[in-house]
Amino acid sequence: MKIELEDVRHVYAAGTTFEVAALRGVSLAVEPGEVLAVVGGTGSGKTTLVRHLNLLLEPTSGRVLVDGEDARVLRRSELRGRIGLVFQSPEEALFAPNVFEDVAFGPRRMGVGEEEVEKRVQDTLQRLGVAHLADRSPFALSGGEKRRVAIAGVLAMHPEVLVLDEPTAGLDPATRGELLDVVCGVRDEGGTVVIVSHDLDEVAEVADRVCVLECGEVRAFGRAADVFYAEPRYAPATVRTAALVARDYPGVGRPVSFRETLAALRGVLGRETT
Amino acid sequence: MGPNGGGKSTLARLSNGLLHADSGRVRVAGLDPAREPYLVRRRVGILFQNPDSGLVAPFVEDDVAFGLENLGAPREEMRERVAEAIRAVGLSGYERREPHTLSGGEKQRVALAGLLAVGPEVLVLDEPTSMLDAAGRREVLERVHALRGNRTVLHLTHHLEEVLDADRVLVLNAGRLVADVAPEWLVSDATLLRENRLVLPTVSRLALGLGLPPAKPRTPEELAAAVGERAERRVGRR
Ligand SMILES: Nc1ncnc2c1ncn2[C@@H]1O[C@H](COP(=O)(O)OP(=O)(O)OP(=O)(O)O)[C@@H](O)[C@H]1O
Ligand SMILES: [Mg+2]
Repeated sequence: MKIELEDVRHVYAAGTTFEVAALRGVSLAVEPGEVLAVVGGTGSGKTTLVRHLNLLLEPTSGRVLVDGEDARVLRRSELRGRIGLVFQSPEEALFAPNVFEDVAFGPRRMGVGEEEVEKRVQDTLQRLGVAHLADRSPFALSGGEKRRVAIAGVLAMHPEVLVLDEPTAGLDPATRGELLDVVCGVRDEGGTVVIVSHDLDEVAEVADRVCVLECGEVRAFGRAADVFYAEPRYAPATVRTAALVARDYPGVGRPVSFRETLAALRGVLGRETT
Repeated sequence: MGPNGGGKSTLARLSNGLLHADSGRVRVAGLDPAREPYLVRRRVGILFQNPDSGLVAPFVEDDVAFGLENLGAPREEMRERVAEAIRAVGLSGYERREPHTLSGGEKQRVALAGLLAVGPEVLVLDEPTSMLDAAGRREVLERVHALRGNRTVLHLTHHLEEVLDADRVLVLNAGRLVADVAPEWLVSDATLLRENRLVLPTVSRLALGLGLPPAKPRTPEELAAAVGERAERRVGRR
């Protein structure tokens, strides 16, 4: 599925003294099968942007297209099933008496048969490493566990596009890594992922393309390496290091991920260092 | 520090009487927070992990003033301290915004402003930067560092780079205190890190992978300089 935003503006509280133009003419496309990261400072419009992808928020002006068709003509329930959105701090939305029921809610509402629901719930809980929690109350879980259950609830709907708003904020580094593995897994199976993050180091590990927002406008958009090397303010530690080393040793190239960067720096130091 | 579910937030809540210990003793300046929570809360301020849960007032400025009001601060002084705190977190102009309309990071800054306005003896910060971008994170850390010497800060975090300047680091895992060490010690103990699901900052991991001491370069600039030096020495030898 391809999603396009066409000159999307979004104004909150229009006509009042607190009017905020959160998006000021954003155009971009989410290509099928890619991991697209949305980065930018506090209040730059990231959450507002990703909530437009399934029309949870509607543009004040401009259009959202799904496979070339105006998203407004599609049924909202269908749209929300095909484009699964995991909120910032999703654990606040957990509500069912136990984890199983919570994750089953989405697929059931989509009309999936009970047998299939059961299978999906078990599979997704397994995939997120929380199968052992199925019977527990979602309220009595740790922060990291709640986060995984909330993500499982969206994944169980088998969305074509998975949208994650700061999915790793507040997680311990090991849990964060496991969650990023899940993201890569979804992509490897042909799914599309849009991830909002303020952790550029993690963006460097997962993103194919990066969109930088500043005050509601797209400041940069493109392949991760192109964006990071052009915008040092939004570059992860790997890129910032390599860019500095490249001044004297251009052979270091333009690595982005940790592995690429380590290999490139080793190259500069010669093979004797391991 | 310590893995999710390790007990950090529980410890924070015990420190001001929001939770009571089943056994054992908690003392804050000689007071038992379970028995005298109000006296303790005059001295201990907590910034909670989830900023949504703490914001209660209709407007940002009321929210920031909330703690001061509870302490019965005089009006004029209150107004100044509130304005100063809002400025300190970079939210000037947001005074009359409604907290529920703010972005995640903005809410987190409002909550921090409320705590700074009160300026308690002990600040307990439960992941104060979890929703901030790199620049916002640096600003908050600078604020926290500025308190050093005249305030006590208990900083709960998952980011090792945020504790490198701490006097002590305590590691909690599965409800047990498993380490009480200097930060340099923690970053050089691979086993301790692994057992507690801690990961070194990217710069340190790169340094380690290149055979440089992991605690030394902290920034990309320092790492690049170290790499440059090494490479030059190698060329020089030839
Ligand atoms: N319901 C609302 N009413 C009024 N203004 C809003 C509302 N929601 C968001 N805003 C404003 O719109 C702007 C963009 O907010 P948004 O939540 O999209 O930012 P963000 O990039 O996700 O930030 P963060 O990194 O802090 O989560 C901010 O200035 C915010 O204060
Ligand atoms: Mg947001």
